[in-house]
Amino acid sequence: MSKEALLQIRDLTKIYTDDSGEKTVLKDLDLDVEKSEFLCILGPSGCGKSTLLRCIAGFEEYSGSVSVDGTQRREPGIDRFMVFQDFNQLFPWKTVINNVAYPLSLNIKAPKAEIKERALEALNKVGLSGCKDQYPHQLSGGMKQRVAIAKALALRSPIILMDEPFAALDAMTRSGLQKEMLSISESEKNTIIFITHNIQEAIILGTRILVFGQQGHILFDEKNPMQRPVTPASEGYGELWEELHHALYEGSLPAKTSK
Amino acid sequence: MKKKLIRNIVAAGATLCLCACSGNAATTGTEGAADQSASAAPAEINIAYQYGLAYAPLIVCKEKGLIEEAYKNATGSEVTVTWTQMSSGADINTGIASGSLDVGFLGVAPAISGVAKDVGYRIFTNLSGQEHGMMSRSTDINSIADLAGSNEQIALVNIGSIQHIILGKALADNGYDAHLLDANIVAMKHPDGMTALESGNVACHLTSSPYIFKEHENAELHEIKEVNAAWPVENSFIVGVASTELHDKQPALYEALCSGISSSIDYLNGNLEEVADMTSEYDGNTPEDELEYLKKGVYTVETKGIFTLATFMSENGFVETSFSGYSDLVFDNVKGN
Amino acid sequence: MNSKKKHAVSVIARVIYVIALLVIWECVARSGILGPRSSLIFPSLEQIGEAFIKNFIKGYAGTSLWIYIANSMKLLLTGLVIGILLAFILSGLSMVSFIFFKIYDLTVSVFDLLPGIALLPVVIIIFGVREEVIVFLVVHAVLWPMSRNMLDGFNATPRIYVEAGKNMGLKGAGLIFGVYLPAAASYIVSGLKSGWARAWRGLISAEMIFGIASSPGIGLFINQMRTNMNNAEMYATLLVIIIIGVIVQYGILRPIEVNTVRKWGMTK
Repeated sequence: MSKEALLQIRDLTKIYTDDSGEKTVLKDLDLDVEKSEFLCILGPSGCGKSTLLRCIAGFEEYSGSVSVDGTQRREPGIDRFMVFQDFNQLFPWKTVINNVAYPLSLNIKAPKAEIKERALEALNKVGLSGCKDQYPHQLSGGMKQRVAIAKALALRSPIILMDEPFAALDAMTRSGLQKEMLSISESEKNTIIFITHNIQEAIILGTRILVFGQQGHILFDEKNPMQRPVTPASEGYGELWEELHHALYEGSLPAKTSK
Repeated sequence: MKKKLIRNIVAAGATLCLCACSGNAATTGTEGAADQSASAAPAEINIAYQYGLAYAPLIVCKEKGLIEEAYKNATGSEVTVTWTQMSSGADINTGIASGSLDVGFLGVAPAISGVAKDVGYRIFTNLSGQEHGMMSRSTDINSIADLAGSNEQIALVNIGSIQHIILGKALADNGYDAHLLDANIVAMKHPDGMTALESGNVACHLTSSPYIFKEHENAELHEIKEVNAAWPVENSFIVGVASTELHDKQPALYEALCSGISSSIDYLNGNLEEVADMTSEYDGNTPEDELEYLKKGVYTVETKGIFTLATFMSENGFVETSFSGYSDLVFDNVKGN
Repeated sequence: MNSKKKHAVSVIARVIYVIALLVIWECVARSGILGPRSSLIFPSLEQIGEAFIKNFIKGYAGTSLWIYIANSMKLLLTGLVIGILLAFILSGLSMVSFIFFKIYDLTVSVFDLLPGIALLPVVIIIFGVREEVIVFLVVHAVLWPMSRNMLDGFNATPRIYVEAGKNMGLKGAGLIFGVYLPAAASYIVSGLKSGWARAWRGLISAEMIFGIASSPGIGLFINQMRTNMNNAEMYATLLVIIIIGVIVQYGILRPIEVNTVRKWGMTK
């Protein structure tokens, strides 16, 4: 483990309590994420990967610690900006540009024009500057997710948390957005933690891939060896896919790659 | 027959509408106008009255079935009497004008307005006279003359009510314009007015029995005597009105009505204790208080002062019509002035 | 184009509906089925029209209906402003403190059930016999339904808006103004609509029962007309009430709705 990782998670334990009793979702989890890493997390439903993201974002109570640049974080903050799966994360009462500019105006002291300009620049990066004066209800699901990403870009959040942001999109839109995400991760310096169900998505986007087991433990954690841009035709794709698939569906690593 | 049915339904609907608009919870009785033919169909009569001591003879009449008895004695057949309690003279006027009521008991002022507006009725009996008076809590206000130049508020039940007209008459009797104090009026129900006066929120309250008696007992208040003098207890307060249709087309029923009310009043005057027991429950007083209040009222079929009042009302713009004589207001059988 | 046509049809339908109602009214008034005194209790449109003009020119006892309307509107606006402000403040505080929310929720549930008129004796003791009584009754009419809607709206705020708000650094009052209030906009708009209707109705009925002759209101005017059996004038006054209500509905509330929740796609 490196000494100065951007994001350090130590002994993170999360227990949900409800009428039927207690359920331990995450137990004594340790994780470091380096600067500019694109970490993709795969895992079966209910394995706690979303919970981990919500703990990092500061939406949940937990024991253990989450530190950014060596400082503990418990409350939500713009240094860890969340892009939700739900399309309705934009405020319907604000135009597209204002949805992007609003968090900026809350967090930085700058003239209005400058904030607008920064918001527009971010919208440009996701290809939506033409829709800046529309309201969210006039946009498609994919466009709404791009605006949400633009919010994080405009804020220049060091860590962007993405909780299956493309899961509810159709295949075409999804593939377009993946491409955009790839180019953003290459040109921007943000660290991205990206949760997905989709093995292909993890291979295409991730510089590092994690697989969670059913009990909320880390089953697989490796750098993505593939050269970007990855396509199913890239060398080594099949093997990696097989390996991840086995980890994901069998809950164990294939014998030949076990270390 | 069909046309009549439609007419009755529409009339009842219109009355209901008006009651709803007023915001008053009037309980309208069974719909249906009087059967004017009076031949084959059984006789029926719809009577509306209001709440309070002044209507005590009607409780007697209702409980003892005196109209039914008088009708049976005279004609040998039955009559169905429907009693409806309504909450204002205005509602009763509308009910009679629409044909859904035959008879109503109301303050003499709305009755005069109704005759003036040609609602289609005349007064067929007096019912009672009651004590009226104005109480003041301000040491500066001891007479009408003190009130004349002041801005002090006067609570009374409604603009156009008998209490309002009594105020106007007290002013006129003392040489002032009858409408001089109109802007000082605050319209509110008797009990609210009493609350306002006793809590010191208005200077004066012009009210009637039994509230005036309750206020007499309050040592902080004193009476402005000219108001009581303007309309003393012997003068008509509540009168009965009957539609001209009833009077003209069903003479036997009309006779029974007059006789029933007359017997009720006689019975009340002869059996005050018993009647006090009977009506105290309706009026929310103890039987002892009720008896005392009944003794202070004047219950008689003879009207007093109504032509004077009607003349005063038309001379001072409370009604737009003028009356040439007492007979404009009452049916022929009524005694009084 | 299609929606334009739909709009035109709906306008025509409503105009026909209103005309039909007027025709039925006139038929009933002229047919004489209400008996010989029909014109007294069920005046024709012509009578009502004349009375409408007469109300403004002659009024009652030399005071034009304008004066009554002006007095009523003054009290109504005062009451509405106070009521709406209070609803915003108290409902907003309910989002800050859970205990306050529970207490205020109970208060709203209880007072929303009480007819203002029934409170009159208490109100007179507190405020005295002044215009403030009417203002109080208007506040009472608007505050509770408005608060009920706002509390429901706050509680129905999707969790994702709240989390998105927290994510961008909002907390406390910032979260209330930045997220809860706009997210509850459709509830607030419907609270405004029902609050306005109840306030308008509450004002008229309060004035009918509690009439201050030195600053007479529309309710008192109606009462005077009723007492004097001036039914045409009374109906004409009801017409004035309807006209004012419609102007507020379509001239004020509707544009507010169109420029907020409709523009934002928060309502159909």
